[in-house]
Amino acid sequence: MKIHEDKDMLALALHTLKVGEEAVVENVAGELSFISRISAIGFTRNAEITMLQNWKWGPVIVFIRDTQMALGRTEAGRITVRKKAI
Amino acid sequence: MKTKQKTIALAGQPNTGKSSIFNRLTGSNQHIGNWPGKTVEKKQGRFKCNGQTYNLVDLPGTYSLTANSAEEIIARDFIIKKQPDVLVVVVDASQLERTLYLVAETAMLQTKTIVALNMMDIAEKEGRKFSPEAMGREMGVKVVPTVAAKNKGIAALLEAIEESLDNGKSNIKPKRQVLEGDTLALLNKIRLKVKGRVPSPYSEEWTAIKLLEGDQEICRIMKDRLEPAGWQEIDKIIRNDHTLLVADSRYEWIRKIISSTVEYPDKKNILARRHRFDKIATHPVWGKFMAIGILFVALVAAVSIGYLGMPFLGAVSLVADGTRSLLAPAPAWLSSMMADGVIVGVGLATALSFFLMAVFIVVGFLEDVGYLARLAYVFDSFMQGLGLHGKSFMPFLMGACCNIGGVLATRVVDTWRQRLITVLLIPIIPCFAVWAIVSFIGTIFFGVKTPLIIMALLITTALHLALTSFLLRRIVIKGNRTGLIMELPPYHKPNLKTIWTYAWTNEKAYLKRGFTVIALTSFLVWLLAYFPDGNIDTSLLASIGKFLNPIGNLMGFDWRLMVALIAAMVSKEAALAAIGIVYGFGHELSSLTGLAMVAPPEGGELEALESILMQTISPESALAFLFVITFSIPCSATIGVLYSETRSLKWAAGATLYYTLSSLVAGILVYHGGLLIF
Repeated sequence: MKIHEDKDMLALALHTLKVGEEAVVENVAGELSFISRISAIGFTRNAEITMLQNWKWGPVIVFIRDTQMALGRTEAGRITVRKKAI
Repeated sequence: MKTKQKTIALAGQPNTGKSSIFNRLTGSNQHIGNWPGKTVEKKQGRFKCNGQTYNLVDLPGTYSLTANSAEEIIARDFIIKKQPDVLVVVVDASQLERTLYLVAETAMLQTKTIVALNMMDIAEKEGRKFSPEAMGREMGVKVVPTVAAKNKGIAALLEAIEESLDNGKSNIKPKRQVLEGDTLALLNKIRLKVKGRVPSPYSEEWTAIKLLEGDQEICRIMKDRLEPAGWQEIDKIIRNDHTLLVADSRYEWIRKIISSTVEYPDKKNILARRHRFDKIATHPVWGKFMAIGILFVALVAAVSIGYLGMPFLGAVSLVADGTRSLLAPAPAWLSSMMADGVIVGVGLATALSFFLMAVFIVVGFLEDVGYLARLAYVFDSFMQGLGLHGKSFMPFLMGACCNIGGVLATRVVDTWRQRLITVLLIPIIPCFAVWAIVSFIGTIFFGVKTPLIIMALLITTALHLALTSFLLRRIVIKGNRTGLIMELPPYHKPNLKTIWTYAWTNEKAYLKRGFTVIALTSFLVWLLAYFPDGNIDTSLLASIGKFLNPIGNLMGFDWRLMVALIAAMVSKEAALAAIGIVYGFGHELSSLTGLAMVAPPEGGELEALESILMQTISPESALAFLFVITFSIPCSATIGVLYSETRSLKWAAGATLYYTLSSLVAGILVYHGGLLIF
């Protein structure tokens, strides 16, 4: 896997993004069935993602590939993203 | 000479408006059933165009064609094995990037494909500009813009179907090579290894891709067909988990097509439109208030629609009375059998079908406008407490109206394990009928303290749910917990036909199983209550009640309350009626077989019934009875649909046994607790 060299950008778990923050998916981890499901609905490398709703608990809502998607926190935690430099 | 009927298959991701297109093409000429051996619904229809009849098959809505679920296997097996003449893939123009994923998959299959670019109106309103021709050229398939909800573009879609069939070979060559670079290199490596060993009708290329993706079914097939050494070589390549890589490549293919053929507005504009309402609708606090408000209105709507069936209820007792007088010259057992056993049982089942239909229509409406997904989101945390996720919320809610509807509603749950757990938990949810019994018996025995009892029942129900869910997840159905992964589709205007189809599909599932089970059980109870001599006190039912006395004694029940419990298996309402009869009050046996609502004891009779109940039942027994009823000896129809939805005698019998035992245990505990208190 290619690692971005840019030091300004930090790899984070998806659920740590704040509302309104934009990022790019860097990797998806987990068992095969999870990766298979989650990648089919658009969570693949380089997908642009915007956090729409993220409270301290409960599932998050993100905007990805033209779609509003709700994800449980555990599921979101398996997705690594890189914040876009603003 | 008549040409062979052509088969058109309709594929698409969920929420792309696929069923609207199906409805537009087939009109009323459609048939809803199940895929053989599966509980996945199968819609089929016919339509005519220029003298040619086409057979249209609606494939289950799926996000991909990898063997992750029954739906996906059905969809891909149909395309690959049944080889439809044309495949129409519906994509949502307002959610184009994601919904094109299925096209990226089907593009690699040999089938002639047409893409219906649906929901063009919403997409354009949000500021996108499309060039369908250019898009078609890029993908190598015909692209037809449609707005199925407004019947736009359907004629063009038909034309495209005819054209692709006429040409023999379509003049646009499908651009099947979706994968590039490293992915393609890996693919070719695998392709060489499986050369000549792939069973028809799978293609070598497609098989290689599915192996690369780690598709369980294809891996199993190929492992069987290759020598161990050959398989190991492949296994070495695919062990590195390339699922994500393949999906990456497909989305890269999509990105290239979109960037050269679609003009996008600023993302902020789309979000401003879409997320505006959701800021409240999915808010952890306001969202719940809103949900409760909407659900209240929905309940009122369902009850109002259900009221249309009320005149029918009155008609049942008239028909029963009419039959009785008509059959007066015949032997007494015959007239009682027809009036009390058959007509009333069928009447109850029909009355319930009105009620359920009303609930299904309202739920179908919420689903169609897109609100159900928000509801699942808002109550996700709540369901997490039970080890489930938000998608199980709606089935629970419907179960609170009627358990039968709750079991049927579990079809929305995405993974089989979670669905099974949800189905098996539904009988715990007290339905409307339970509360009718609780308020009737409760008021007689405990008067103003009844609300306290209701609270106690609710709390123990919650504990029961938590305990049973724990047992199911940890011991009975082990497996990995799956969390919420759910699309929140854009809201849109309701489409009557789609709502109707949803309601009717569920209604049919009820009619097929629940209806017959209710009618049959109610007939059986009549049989037991009538024979041998037409007097319930000396009937077989009474003997059974007396036979069960040792169990009843543990809760201080006499045989009459045991009979009421047996009647509760017909339906919970019947328990109330049974009490009336065995204590000598209900009018006829008819109310025993179900229609208590029609002929409840009235006025002076009611007071007399109350006083005799007070005299013969102790308060602790009454309380135990309420717990036994609430703790759900499941009604027969719920078990019936539970069986047809799980297709497993084991689960149906297991659930019956478990819930019967748990309710008796609850009853015994409460009775003995009550002895100490009262």
